[in-house]
Amino acid sequence: MGFWKRKTMAKTGQSGLDLTSQPYAVFEDVGLEMNQTEILQGVSLTLSEQRIGIVGLNGSGKSSLVRLLNGLRLPSTGSLKVFGQPVGAVRGQLPRHVGFVFQNPDHQAIFPTVEEEVAFGLTQLGNSKEDARVAARALLRRYGVEALADKPFTGLSEGQKQLVCILSVLVMDPEILILDEPMSSLDGLATRRIAALLRDLSQKLVMISHDLSLIDGFDRILWMEGGRLKMDGPPDAVLPAYERDINLKAQAAAADQASAGPL
Amino acid sequence: MMSLYVPGQSWLHRCPAGVKFVLLCVISAVLLAMHDLWLLGLAFVATLMLYASLGPQGVRQVSALKPLAFLLVILFLFHLMTGDWQQGLRLILHLGSMVLLANLVTITTRLDDMMAALRPIFQPIRFLGLSPSVPALAVALVIRFVPELLRVYNALAEAYRAKTGARGSYRLIAPFMIQALAMSENVAEALSARGGASGFEPAGSARDKNAVGGAAMKEEIPS
Repeated sequence: MGFWKRKTMAKTGQSGLDLTSQPYAVFEDVGLEMNQTEILQGVSLTLSEQRIGIVGLNGSGKSSLVRLLNGLRLPSTGSLKVFGQPVGAVRGQLPRHVGFVFQNPDHQAIFPTVEEEVAFGLTQLGNSKEDARVAARALLRRYGVEALADKPFTGLSEGQKQLVCILSVLVMDPEILILDEPMSSLDGLATRRIAALLRDLSQKLVMISHDLSLIDGFDRILWMEGGRLKMDGPPDAVLPAYERDINLKAQAAAADQASAGPL
Repeated sequence: MMSLYVPGQSWLHRCPAGVKFVLLCVISAVLLAMHDLWLLGLAFVATLMLYASLGPQGVRQVSALKPLAFLLVILFLFHLMTGDWQQGLRLILHLGSMVLLANLVTITTRLDDMMAALRPIFQPIRFLGLSPSVPALAVALVIRFVPELLRVYNALAEAYRAKTGARGSYRLIAPFMIQALAMSENVAEALSARGGASGFEPAGSARDKNAVGGAAMKEEIPS
């Protein structure tokens, strides 16, 4: 990790996160390498919008990009500041302020029952078990699912599972909520319900989605390709361009297959 | 199969986890010291009555003994052949009562209560620089992910059957291990995203970066 880390630590003394800082994240020429493979290269960005969507094909670096925001990954090169601090220096504090909802709810829930799962974040923050439980129940009630409190997580529907996963992150009251394809296992109805819930949140959202209709009302769209930022702008500029690009790629692949002859 | 806890409001659910643990230890020790068949039979019946006190849902939980039934029958037959059926019966009553009592604690105690009750026992590992909540969390993860792993195995067996028409075989062991390991990576990452195994350090602590466990810790920090 770079020398800049220790220097800033010394300067600010404590973690020194400025939760009101705008922009909340600043990427400067960020690169990420894992197992000798370049995942991200030369990403420079400042994020401040309330709703940011990320699109890109599989393997384009979307997931790695958002994992940089809460310290799950650290940049190999360049500098990344979140809430005004280099991520390497505040890695342990970031997850409570930058909540993360994963693609597969089955891999995210840690506890067998719903209430325990939602309460976990609060006990992680040092609250007593009783306080955490009361707060968890209150949150479940606010979203109309108090009846699930004692249910085993394994028995929930996919939509309920993802809802519980989102609530178990919201319970920590993060400033930013990152969602990595949260709807990919949901049916149409559950998708709409979760989308409506997300729309009403006061948190800043950064969401990866393959379903473009879910992000076409967002403030800003980032299009990732081959580990680089390919396009960045409002949805009505980026999304049509992205779709056109997918169509062109599909046509090219079909033409390749045709010229190769029958299998 | 779900997690073992059975939600409810019975008197046993309300009884503090620590009390249940201590009572379980004491009663088990007393049972082991008892050799009188009548007394042991009485203890077994009393155990069944405890289940009955939970209502019909409790009575159904006596089926926890089912996986053990085969073993108990074999043991009894063995003693019958060696001519000591009384010893066989004693063994069955010992094992049966103790397993049922332990199960009774499991099904009426929420996992986080159980963890809280066990935490003092794990205090000594503090000297090794580990948080006592780590083993407790490990227990939680096992209970949560046993059904999940079974599902992974069943999905593999189904895919195998779809391609070969045969039932699952030893060949599924390697892919199952790989899938289980991949899953553990995801779970570790999710745990890191919520403060890791030891929870968040109080804000501004000097141990900031150690507060993140799981995947984030395992991963080499790029320099």
